[in-house]
Amino acid sequence: MAETRFWRAALYAALVFAALYYLLPLYVMLTTSVKSIEEIRAGNLLSLPAGITFDAWSKAWSTACTGVSCNGLSGYFWNSVQMVIPAVAISTMLGAINGYVLSKWRFRGSEVVFALILFGVFMPFQVLLLPMAQTLGLFGLANTTAGLVFVHVVCGTASTTLFFRNYYVGIPDELIKAARLDGAGFWRIFWRIILPMSTPIIMVTLIWQFTQIWNDFLFGVVFASGDAQPITVGLNNLANTSTSVKEYNVDMAAALIAALPTIVVYVLAGKYFVRGLTAGAVKG
Amino acid sequence: MGALAIKNVTKSFGDTHILKGINIDIEAGEFLILVGPSGCGKSTLMNIIAGLESPTSGEVCIADRIVNEVAPKDRDIAMVFQSYALYPTMNVRQNIAFGMETRGVPKAEQNEVIARVAKMLQIDHLLDRKPSALSGGQRQRVAMGRALARNPKLFLFDEPLSNLDAKLRVEMRVEIKQLHQRLKTTIVYVTHDQIEAMTLGDKIAVMKDGVIQQFGSPEDIYERPANLFVAGFIGSPSMNFLPCHLVEQNGQVGVTLQGVEAPKFIALQDRAGLKERVGQKVILGVRPEQWDVENTPDALVCKVKITEPTGPDTMIYSEVNGVEMIARVHPRAASGPGTTLPLVLDVKKAVLFDPETELRIA
Ligand SMILES: Nc1ncnc2c1ncn2[C@@H]1O[C@H](COP(=O)(O)OP(=O)(O)OP(=O)(O)O)[C@@H](O)[C@H]1O
Ligand SMILES: [Mg+2]
Repeated sequence: MAETRFWRAALYAALVFAALYYLLPLYVMLTTSVKSIEEIRAGNLLSLPAGITFDAWSKAWSTACTGVSCNGLSGYFWNSVQMVIPAVAISTMLGAINGYVLSKWRFRGSEVVFALILFGVFMPFQVLLLPMAQTLGLFGLANTTAGLVFVHVVCGTASTTLFFRNYYVGIPDELIKAARLDGAGFWRIFWRIILPMSTPIIMVTLIWQFTQIWNDFLFGVVFASGDAQPITVGLNNLANTSTSVKEYNVDMAAALIAALPTIVVYVLAGKYFVRGLTAGAVKG
Repeated sequence: MGALAIKNVTKSFGDTHILKGINIDIEAGEFLILVGPSGCGKSTLMNIIAGLESPTSGEVCIADRIVNEVAPKDRDIAMVFQSYALYPTMNVRQNIAFGMETRGVPKAEQNEVIARVAKMLQIDHLLDRKPSALSGGQRQRVAMGRALARNPKLFLFDEPLSNLDAKLRVEMRVEIKQLHQRLKTTIVYVTHDQIEAMTLGDKIAVMKDGVIQQFGSPEDIYERPANLFVAGFIGSPSMNFLPCHLVEQNGQVGVTLQGVEAPKFIALQDRAGLKERVGQKVILGVRPEQWDVENTPDALVCKVKITEPTGPDTMIYSEVNGVEMIARVHPRAASGPGTTLPLVLDVKKAVLFDPETELRIA
């Protein structure tokens, strides 16, 4: 009895330590972002702020210099929003339809198609850069937000297809047969039967795609310039723009601004994430 | 009028031949049972009748119309699946209404049908529940309700009771029988439960490996099984298969059986085609209930190895002609293991099989 209690205590101690270890950088970022620059220079990294000021946040948002222009991250942020919403929506929708076809409307060669799509999941995206640049040029989408959306849809559909296909494989085929006897066709079965059952996997896909696309730097820096650049590129520019003194509080505030949407999405939809990853194990 | 005719239907998935020339013909209002071991192609045949899969060759006719090219929804059929296949995100009412909605039945009529079906199956109080909040038996009823709402020419039931516990199964079996007597709709019913097959069917098709072994009335199948497989598959406990030689004694053809005493000659009266076979090996098929305990000079004395009292009857395990033999006798006539019992065979009901072809010869 005493022994199990000891081990339990040890276990919790280890967990708390691990949690603190991972939370520490977030703590440093948060506190630093609300400290004044004088306090940062004087104090130590881990101390609580003497007074809270949001100057660094507003500077990071609207006046910090990112290269030659000094308008903060706000423009980049809206670029990212305009990119991420259609890209996530379209790639999730395509993934759902692909997964539905590849699991419930198999055709000759559908396994081959699926294998090829899987290939796309594991392909390093660097190999895409040159051909994609040419393709975007051909479509007249180079350096636009629409171009970035296109790239992310193309690259994201492989994973979303995999997610949905594996989820739908767990849905009994008899459900489709029953619906066909009820007179429903391909789309009606999809909208009325399949999609309403898909909430967990839609949530998983949304979180996954949102995080991937929001955090992407490679495509943003390669395929967008000037007006269309996403927040990751803006953050990079902001941190790399040399000023006389290094403004750590502004850098931290900027990094938090860039990270905030993914955190919000995870908090809102996260409970589905774990549920979605384990769904299909039990039939409902 | 022919309700359902299946003509030479075959089905292959690549090189694996699942159905190998199926022929079935039933009249309107008949209750057809498809029975056979797991994997013999029963569900595949059902799917072909429903139009959910197309046959590799052959014809399917429903109500004297060739329906090979007709879509499932236009075949005027309804199906109940083994897993019930209820739409999990819809409540019971929506589940029943979905088909009507798709066919564009007016709302008022939909409600009428739902009310009628729910009353018939006693699921009125469940209409607003999701399938996940129903018990197995209730789900089964809802699945039936969905089929009934259609009022089709042909019902297809694919093992509708196999997910239920034993007691509920018996109840639902009776209900399905009553339902059929009331509606008089043609039903094709898949099962691998031979009791369901015997109790429900007007006609039974026994399948094995994609071939129909026998197609006939329950009585035909039970009394005159076409081959060893059918004889062994239908009936519980199974028919006893006793290896014998056909011999002729005093002008009568018969077989000899040996229990614990000297071999006994059993004459097989008036059966055609036995004379020619004298001297050949045959298999004598005797159902457990065809034995009686009777102390006569003709009785075959057998040693009791195990007894299994089931309540109304007692199963006696013993050995005849070197193989295990089960007799179903009255509990009061039974005696304990190690004793001997005089058993008399009801010769008229015994059947003979050719051990080579496995077909019944008499
Ligand atoms: N799409 C398919 N591709 C290949 N083989 C298949 C396919 N569908 C079914 N089979 C095979 O066909 C055979 C018959 O299957 P079927 O489902 O008709 O059996 P069943 O008689 O209904 O069995 P059970 O009593 O277990 O339901 C099985 O061996 C199965 O593996
Ligand atoms: Mg089956």
